[in-house]
Amino acid sequence: MPLSIFYFLAVAGINILMSWSLYLPYRVQQLHFMTVANMTISGYIGAYAALNWGWPFAAVLLLGVLLGALVGFVTSFAIGDAPAFAVVIVGFTFIYITKTIVENMDAFGGTMGLFGIPKIAATPGGHRWIMFAVIYASVIVVGALIHRFDTSRLGRATSAIFVDKNLAATFGVDVKKMGMGLQTAASAIGGLCGVLYAFTMRSLFPEFFTFHYIGIAMTMLFIGGYTTQWGVLLSVPILWGLPFLLPESVQSWRIVIYGVLLVVILLIKPEGIVTRPLIRRVGTLLGARKRAS
Amino acid sequence: MGASNTAPDRPILAVDGLSVSYGHVQALRNASITIGSGEIVVLLGANGAGKTTLMESILGIHTPHSGSISFDGTDITRVPADRNVRSGISLVPEGRGIFSSMTVLDNLLLGAHHNLQESPARLDRVFHWFPVLRERQQQMAGTLSGGERRMLAIGRALMSRPRLILIDEPSIGLAPKIVNDIFAIIADLNAEGYAILLSEQNAYKALKTSNRGYVLETGRVVLEGASAELLDDPGIKAAYVGA
Amino acid sequence: MEVFIAQFMNGLSLGSIYVLLVTGFNLLLLVAMIIHFSYPQVVVFSMYISWVALRFTNNSIVVGVVAGIVSAIALNVVLAPLFQQVMRKRGHVDINATMVISLAIGMIITDILSHEFNSGFPIAFPENVRGDEELFGFGLIHISRGQVLSLLVGVVVVSAFFWLLYRTKYGRAFRAIAEDPDNARLVGIPIFQTGLLSYALTGLLGGLTAVLLSVLLGSASPGLGEAVAHKVLAVSIIAGLGNLVGGLVIGLALGILEAMVQGFITGTWSNAIAFVVLLVVILARPRGVFGMKL
Repeated sequence: MPLSIFYFLAVAGINILMSWSLYLPYRVQQLHFMTVANMTISGYIGAYAALNWGWPFAAVLLLGVLLGALVGFVTSFAIGDAPAFAVVIVGFTFIYITKTIVENMDAFGGTMGLFGIPKIAATPGGHRWIMFAVIYASVIVVGALIHRFDTSRLGRATSAIFVDKNLAATFGVDVKKMGMGLQTAASAIGGLCGVLYAFTMRSLFPEFFTFHYIGIAMTMLFIGGYTTQWGVLLSVPILWGLPFLLPESVQSWRIVIYGVLLVVILLIKPEGIVTRPLIRRVGTLLGARKRAS
Repeated sequence: MGASNTAPDRPILAVDGLSVSYGHVQALRNASITIGSGEIVVLLGANGAGKTTLMESILGIHTPHSGSISFDGTDITRVPADRNVRSGISLVPEGRGIFSSMTVLDNLLLGAHHNLQESPARLDRVFHWFPVLRERQQQMAGTLSGGERRMLAIGRALMSRPRLILIDEPSIGLAPKIVNDIFAIIADLNAEGYAILLSEQNAYKALKTSNRGYVLETGRVVLEGASAELLDDPGIKAAYVGA
Repeated sequence: MEVFIAQFMNGLSLGSIYVLLVTGFNLLLLVAMIIHFSYPQVVVFSMYISWVALRFTNNSIVVGVVAGIVSAIALNVVLAPLFQQVMRKRGHVDINATMVISLAIGMIITDILSHEFNSGFPIAFPENVRGDEELFGFGLIHISRGQVLSLLVGVVVVSAFFWLLYRTKYGRAFRAIAEDPDNARLVGIPIFQTGLLSYALTGLLGGLTAVLLSVLLGSASPGLGEAVAHKVLAVSIIAGLGNLVGGLVIGLALGILEAMVQGFITGTWSNAIAFVVLLVVILARPRGVFGMKL
């Protein structure tokens, strides 16, 4: 697999996962940007474990996920049912603090970045194929888990919370527990992405894990549509892929383009491109064709 | 009490064939009412009959999908609330209607948002009607009793130099003694020349005070007439007065 | 002790900037009913406009100040219909949607600044604007022109704002809408015009803040707005969203805290300490110390 195609596909997969990590807590109206901080924490500590302690990739991956879940779980005690803006600012502060810590620790390479994260196969080509397989296996597994959740009784309860927290509480939905569960899951996905990203790039820079990246993941979620998990599968390839076809001078304006698209979609179609009625229509269409054939 | 038993020749307010919906729910269907200058008119009807919607539509809160409203000969069908207040309609909303974290004086001055320069004179008038508000003017409105709040809401409506006052459920939740006071004040205001549209669920007192009345059911005007006649109507007696 | 006094003075002038920003943020929250997270980014954008104006007019301070203030007002008023449209689209007022729109606006502003102005490098304001000239000194205590100016303007502007809020009919209308927008409409308050006025007024506050920041810092960078935006949102959450007096107290406290940390702890860690304190307080009290007024 050529390097450029590998980077494109690998980062697209990670973007899908990260958009899902924002999708889950947004089911209860929370913008849990902390997942980007989870990416930093798990990515750096995972890379450190691989570099200095010689941990194998599988162990690092598990460490990253568990670390993400742990951090998410602990903070969710405080912000599991907090108002959306409080969750936002906790995420931002976390990102800022982890970035400062990384920049000031020589063990993590400081502002220069962390290099030389080991290959997980003997050849560079093998490394790429395995990483590609692991990333898309993760997309399938996480996607399937989210689908199971969305179609469960709990998933329907989150829709009630999205519309009206207090009303949902009167139906006997535990708003705080739900928020805690979703934040923990989202942070675990963030941790997973951190390790995947570290081993894809085989180097880490503190500059990557900032508000820039939040903007990218958030744009993908809202343009794809935040009411179903399927929207990001459409928006990530388009938003992440199309700029590569544009001239270099336009590409550098990627963030401005994302920002404008985000404003436009909120103005004309606030639920995003892929909505629940659309999914239902596609479902019946596919069903009809199956019966016809 | 005025003597007019039929619809006035030159109404200060004329609502003609008004229909208003919230989404799919139709709150008013082809409703028509008129109010003559110097009249007290009462709207009767159960909860959800459309009384509040009619009043809010007259003020310019809801956009009707058909029908027209004219005030003093001018069409105001799609004129927003703040302009209608400026030209002489004011509303005393049901229940709330006051800002409890602001002082009594601030609440009154809010009513005079459009004509602040004449507020000292108008304040004097309001304090003349409601002496208790003068004593409490620096107090937070949230500390007032239920009757005082209703007086404050009426006082605030008077601040904007209205010619027509819409009063939504003036007696709701008040003790009988205070209800009597409020209705006495409404009659006095009318005697000073203010045209008044009242809405009431419990109709006896309202019909006694008013010239004419309309009965609303599920958004339609089902009956209208002089208040004295309505008081004698057996259906009205059973539905709204008796009990 | 001298370090303490010196840093206390620094903290007061920095804090007065936070207070101005938090006050503008809260005004929009209460009257226009939006979370304008990127408001500080709009302010930094105005600093850049003012910098450009200074360059084209051979450092005319009057033009620089006017450009900063006018651009902040214009930008805020131009953004108003975007926010209003998003709120109307979702039927009822959806304050989260306004926050996402604001984040998107912030992304755009920051990226434009890092492309178009000075090739993305930090800009430096000319000598005659910078306020680092010392007015008087005593031992380690140096009081600069910028510090005195920002503290003075901060006090005057915040007092003027509270006067407007509690002594004028516009302030009365602001407070009425903040307490109960539906009822304010029934009373005859022009909701749209009053809302627009709050955008313009926050623009004015923002423009003044942009001028003060230029004088106090003497420079600006594309990322400045983001960093300040996070602190302003954190301050207003800790104070209790929409709580104007709370914002005053917490804004000053943050300024003093940051200055103290810088005075007594050296190194790149000092900036993170303020964030750690903010984080701890928010985690402990996600609904604010003084209570939300929303």
